[in-house]
Amino acid sequence: MTVPRIAAAGGYAPRFRVTVEAFEDAWGSFDATGIEEKAVPYADEDALTMAAAAGRRALSAGDADPGEVGFLAFTSTTPPLEEEDLTARLGEMLAIPADTEHATFGQSTRAGTQALAAGIDATFSDAPGADADLALVIAADCPRGEPHDEREHAAGAGAAAFVVGDEGPAAVTDRAEHAAPYPGTRFRRRGSESIEGLDVTRYDRAAFLEAIEGAVDRLDAEPPQFDAVAIQAPDGGMPYRAAGAIGVENEAVAAYETVSELGDAGAASVPLSLARAVADGEDVLAASFGSGAGADALAVVCEDAVPAEIDLGGHEEVSYAEYLRLRGDVTRDDPEGGGAYVSMPTWRRSLPQRYRLVAGRCPECDALAFPPEGACDDCGNLVEYEDVALPGTGTAEAATTIGQGGAPPEFAVQQSKGGDFGVAVVAFDAPDGSETVSAPAQVTDGRDVDVGDRVRAAVRRIYEQEGVPRYGFKVRPADGL
Amino acid sequence: MRDVYLVGAGQSDFGAFPQETYRSLFAAAYEDALDSVAGDLGAADVDEAFVGNLGVGGRQIGLAGPAVTEHVGLDGTPTTRIENACAAGGSAIRHGVQAIRSGMADVVLAGGVEVMTDLSGDVTRYWLGVSGETEWERLSGTTFAGVYAQMASAHMAEHGTTREQLSHVAVKNHRHGSMNPHAQLGFECSLEDAENAPVVADPLTLYHCCPTTDGAAVAFLASEDVVDEFADHRVRVAGSGAGTAPVGLFERDTYTSIPASRDAAEMAYEEAGVGPGDLDFAEVHDCFAIAELLAYGDLGFCDPGEAGEFVASGATELDGDVAVNTSGGLKSKGHPIGATGVGQAVEAFEQLTGHAGDRQVEGARYGLAHNVGGSGGAATVHIFERDDGGVST
Repeated sequence: MTVPRIAAAGGYAPRFRVTVEAFEDAWGSFDATGIEEKAVPYADEDALTMAAAAGRRALSAGDADPGEVGFLAFTSTTPPLEEEDLTARLGEMLAIPADTEHATFGQSTRAGTQALAAGIDATFSDAPGADADLALVIAADCPRGEPHDEREHAAGAGAAAFVVGDEGPAAVTDRAEHAAPYPGTRFRRRGSESIEGLDVTRYDRAAFLEAIEGAVDRLDAEPPQFDAVAIQAPDGGMPYRAAGAIGVENEAVAAYETVSELGDAGAASVPLSLARAVADGEDVLAASFGSGAGADALAVVCEDAVPAEIDLGGHEEVSYAEYLRLRGDVTRDDPEGGGAYVSMPTWRRSLPQRYRLVAGRCPECDALAFPPEGACDDCGNLVEYEDVALPGTGTAEAATTIGQGGAPPEFAVQQSKGGDFGVAVVAFDAPDGSETVSAPAQVTDGRDVDVGDRVRAAVRRIYEQEGVPRYGFKVRPADGL
Repeated sequence: MRDVYLVGAGQSDFGAFPQETYRSLFAAAYEDALDSVAGDLGAADVDEAFVGNLGVGGRQIGLAGPAVTEHVGLDGTPTTRIENACAAGGSAIRHGVQAIRSGMADVVLAGGVEVMTDLSGDVTRYWLGVSGETEWERLSGTTFAGVYAQMASAHMAEHGTTREQLSHVAVKNHRHGSMNPHAQLGFECSLEDAENAPVVADPLTLYHCCPTTDGAAVAFLASEDVVDEFADHRVRVAGSGAGTAPVGLFERDTYTSIPASRDAAEMAYEEAGVGPGDLDFAEVHDCFAIAELLAYGDLGFCDPGEAGEFVASGATELDGDVAVNTSGGLKSKGHPIGATGVGQAVEAFEQLTGHAGDRQVEGARYGLAHNVGGSGGAATVHIFERDDGGVST
């Protein structure tokens, strides 16, 4: 009998880290256990951009054709909008077809494994309309709390993605779940960005352990047979309490946990550990927890290492003050004013260019054009261009760094959070590398480039207008850092 | 075609004037321009008016032209607002030239006005980017300082141009501006001042950037049929050129030249029958120091790669081969967007009628005015000639 398989995995976490020491300097103590440092999203990152990054890596690792993806899941407890189907935008960013089933999960940190289960169901269901060959399941999260709160001290960021189908080195051999009503262990009020909890320690612990034990007990496999255990990590302590409860060694949890370096990755917590473990070819017991409460357990058996692209960043440390800026706790609001308004219908027309760098080839003179509209810059003919998706690598042809106060007001909030940023005119490579076409691009992650530097595109938040975040490509130095 | 003459030109002070309005500034320029006319020119003589204006801050964008001409008593005069970003003033002059050459008008008012300093920093930055390529270039995070800084980076990479050479532009233009009573920043600065100023967009420091400015300028153009009623020393518009190019820098073939400037210059030189070597002075569009260096190449003053050395050599000082920005340029005199191009004509008129005071170029006969919109989406070049052979000194 065929079983659902993980064909590829991707993992992403932001470049920036804040350390326990930075918190201790600021607060005199650090209130989350088992965390050494945690990931901090840059000023233009959110759950959707991290999801796009992880999804792109999973597709690339598996050499999977986005056109074959029949089910796409975007999973986050911290979507950039509380209501709107953001998966449609994520699909466009990843070149997923319009007729693919687009699913959105959230509401608790269990959502990552719920999405994985749904992806499995979509690829293995006989139900009418459910005919996906491949599922792409992405979990991305960046929870936050009030600055004094221990949940905030733990709150990190990260994203993981899986390509699921009937082929691949890792078989999902079993899964189970357990629900148990435990209100108030971790929740976020309507209209609030901060998670909170009633802080009834024994009650919180009971909810966590009862749900996870309940789900794991229903698996056919015995927990001790797994070398790797991926357990929900709201901090660096709870996974080990759960390990004891379900009867696995601490080492099996420690082997692939990410909480000590990324912090609490919310709905991406278990997926990140799972991705790391299958990338090493380990058999994995995965057990998620979602407050409220419920848990999922999955048994994954690897015949070989799963192709994976996982880079969890961590190339630059920020101070606590910089951390508060990046979070937006001490920074300015959007300015008032009018000026260069780009309407949403106009913006939407450019989504293939913004998200996927779709240039055009002139049928008259064969030159590349970006954006592919209007008369050809080379031959001057008014033509219909043939789509050419650029790979996203390029070379800076002209570059500067925009200092404080030098940016258009659309970027005032971002600059207040992230500081100076680079802006370049980039000669983007054609797919076959034989020619280039130029486009302006901001340099993200607070970095800058010089003329001649190689760069690589990444989808980030460009700005927010009238409450709606807008995304598009920026570039990073192609130094891998 | 009929010849067109510049018979008067005047301006308000350029600066920050919270007590003034766009109308009162325009009125000041109008009166100054009327005073500059040798003959007796009045409202009834003006057949047509073109008013350069971007409308920074919003205010009277619609019908800004009639709103100012009516205010100075030109009630009923056909008036059109000309918008070509920072090249609006030069474009207004070109429209005036065309109206007279066509025979539809004998006397044209070509003016410009802008109010920029009564806005918050945020609102100002909103408006300063509206003439960049909006959907891609601006939304990569640039205002014009960023785009010109990118051009500077390319010029440095291609030609070895240095920041010190950029600073020479600032030092020179401030020196010239210190002799211009209308200048907004009429103080001198040192190379060290320019080098050590805060960085706005690397490599450009504050001193490599022009200020935001309130101001107005008005020029009167007259046909050859009526010029002698108004002029003692005839200043002919010997050549008028204009060009356009993609609005976004990234859409152009070159980042180290402004193609619209080259096209406009070629057109104007050809019409005037003169070349760069014939010029005694030039007002060039130095919104940023790199822009003046680009202009040297595009207007043919030197090889494009030698622009940095050219300014450092002193060749564009008041007593140099071609005195550039004797008014102080946009850098020192100021840059009230819609008025700037007409303000350049004011300097040309003063130089060619011998009224430029301490900054008078000796024996001035040919002068050029170069006005650029945005980062080069549009440009105009006008060549003015004193047709009696030059100012006698």
